Amino acid sequence: MKLLLKFLLRSIGVMLITGGLCGCVKDVDLDQREEISLSPDVQIDLLIYDIDQSQFKDPSTGNLKTHISDTVRLEFLDDDYIQEDLTTVEFYFRHINTFPREIESKIRFLSDGNREQFAVNYTIKPGVDGNPVTTEQFEFIEEDRIHLVRRTIKMVVELEVQPGSAKFEGELDFASKGLFSFEF
Amino acid sequence: MMWRLIGLFLVISGTVVGQNKPLLFNVDDLPQTLMSNPGAQINFTGHLGIPFFSQIHLSAGSTGADLYDVFANDGTNINTRIQEAMRNMDSRDYFSVNQQLEIFSMGWKLDGKNYLSTGIYQELDVFSYFPKDPAILANEGNNDYLNEPFDFSDVSFTGEIMTVYHLGINHKFDNRLTVGARAKFYSSIFNAESTGNTGKFTTYTTPEGRNVYNHEVVDMNILINTAGFAPLKEEEGMTVDQATAELLSRSFFGGNVGFGLDLGLSYILHEQFILSGSVQDLGAVFHRDEVENYRYFGAYETSGIEPLFPELDANDEALPYWDDFEDEVDRNLRDETTNESYTTWRPIKANFAMEYGFGPAFLPCHYLSVKKGRYMNLLGIQLRGVKRPKGFVYSFTTYWDRKINNNQRFKVSYSLDDYSLTNIGLMYTRTFNKFNVYLAANNLLAFPNLAKAHSASLQLGMQLIFND
Repeated sequence: MKLLLKFLLRSIGVMLITGGLCGCVKDVDLDQREEISLSPDVQIDLLIYDIDQSQFKDPSTGNLKTHISDTVRLEFLDDDYIQEDLTTVEFYFRHINTFPREIESKIRFLSDGNREQFAVNYTIKPGVDGNPVTTEQFEFIEEDRIHLVRRTIKMVVELEVQPGSAKFEGELDFASKGLFSFEF
Repeated sequence: MMWRLIGLFLVISGTVVGQNKPLLFNVDDLPQTLMSNPGAQINFTGHLGIPFFSQIHLSAGSTGADLYDVFANDGTNINTRIQEAMRNMDSRDYFSVNQQLEIFSMGWKLDGKNYLSTGIYQELDVFSYFPKDPAILANEGNNDYLNEPFDFSDVSFTGEIMTVYHLGINHKFDNRLTVGARAKFYSSIFNAESTGNTGKFTTYTTPEGRNVYNHEVVDMNILINTAGFAPLKEEEGMTVDQATAELLSRSFFGGNVGFGLDLGLSYILHEQFILSGSVQDLGAVFHRDEVENYRYFGAYETSGIEPLFPELDANDEALPYWDDFEDEVDRNLRDETTNESYTTWRPIKANFAMEYGFGPAFLPCHYLSVKKGRYMNLLGIQLRGVKRPKGFVYSFTTYWDRKINNNQRFKVSYSLDDYSLTNIGLMYTRTFNKFNVYLAANNLLAFPNLAKAHSASLQLGMQLIFND
């Protein structure tokens, strides 16, 4: 019995000392902490509008105004997380048109000094017999061109109604969003 | 009367069970047993701790990922492993760190029935649930989680550093029953907590809507309370030494204060069966000084900014759509910093144990040492738990407590808890004349490679114990 107790005692001593003092960390590489990054992909709505023929009427003459535009500042593009950590952006633009004519869409991205950084131009297909027709456009800004987004602060939307004989009545709905990918 | 008392403790122990030093519970040779059960049966007539060395306690755990899950040296990408670990955890997984340092401790027998003990210890306790949804949102974004809410209630944590001054009495009621109580005065050095938060952020796909998505924040109400943090924040350029000195200066009645109580009993049910139970830290800390509360609240939804195509001359400025949008967001999603007092309840801990003794001991006894029915071996079961923000954290321990002789004793335990199913613990204590040392460690199987351990705990100390 004494021998057993002695053995137990020594075993416990060895285990406690080994465990308490020699507890170690193996099979890990803590230097990998330098490689840790957050890589969120964030879907963000951008601009929307729903307009009809009244928007294309010249208020002074009542005639058709074939060109309209507006500018929206996107101040968040100047924030640190965009300037330092944005890697790519995929823009998506969608027009749903019931006007019986083609409309040229220009979406321009400008710097604070109104210098164009990049633009997305496409033709909006005409509605058919008053029924809506959808036109979609994607623009992928890869890492090589991401500086263009970083320089951007304004988004300009322009519409140019194309000539045609059909009566210009209808609606045009616009949706847009961006998939912003970051690496923090 | 006795049975009612026992019944009361069983009920309390069944609902609020726990403490984090199971190996020191019911060790009648060690004064530290009185810290987890002031009504414990004890086998000494006085004690005097070696200042700062009578108890050093450290424990840490994570129910979710361990160090290996994140930093494994296996050639795979660390960010992939982090993503996988995050996905495998849920919002009830938690991380905890508890540390105690006994600064001063002493006790003495007043008479044959009463033992008075007192002391000072410093404690750090940090407990945080894994904030799964906010963490996933930060790490992965909303792209893969469309139409799924990110729940801000996942943010739930408490953290405190305090000094505790205590005075306890252990009273032997009769040959069977021993009861005890300990009054505590808390001097909080630092506190931060955020519990009971609400709010959800969802990105809905809207095929029939105006835009591709609709972003919604609903019912957001996040409150973070801090006390003792504000002066450190204001002291720019403060060195670590200066910050430590500032914090320590508050440990002596300088910070926010609170009061608490420990209660405990042990009852010899039968010559060989002993029941014991205790409830610790029934108390609160009242934070009045150096308080800062950060609150984020409101609700908002948006599908984007809408240009109006106004009639503008070439020289006209565009309409301030962005400023209007920001103003609207600020009106609806608000934040404020206040200095309102708040109260934190201490994490209540409770223990219940049942022991069976065998192998009678024929050890020297003393007329003040009134404990009867001493055995060389004790087999026991112990339930314990700690009240945390989302409920109780439980664990169950079985143990063999072996007295080798009058000066040496060991305890082997096996515990089931949220961290591990293979938690084996060992405690060894030895007394050289009156000088006692003890060492206890839990989850020993994990010690050879702590990187794969979900928890580890260690207690050690030295003191003078008198038995004459």
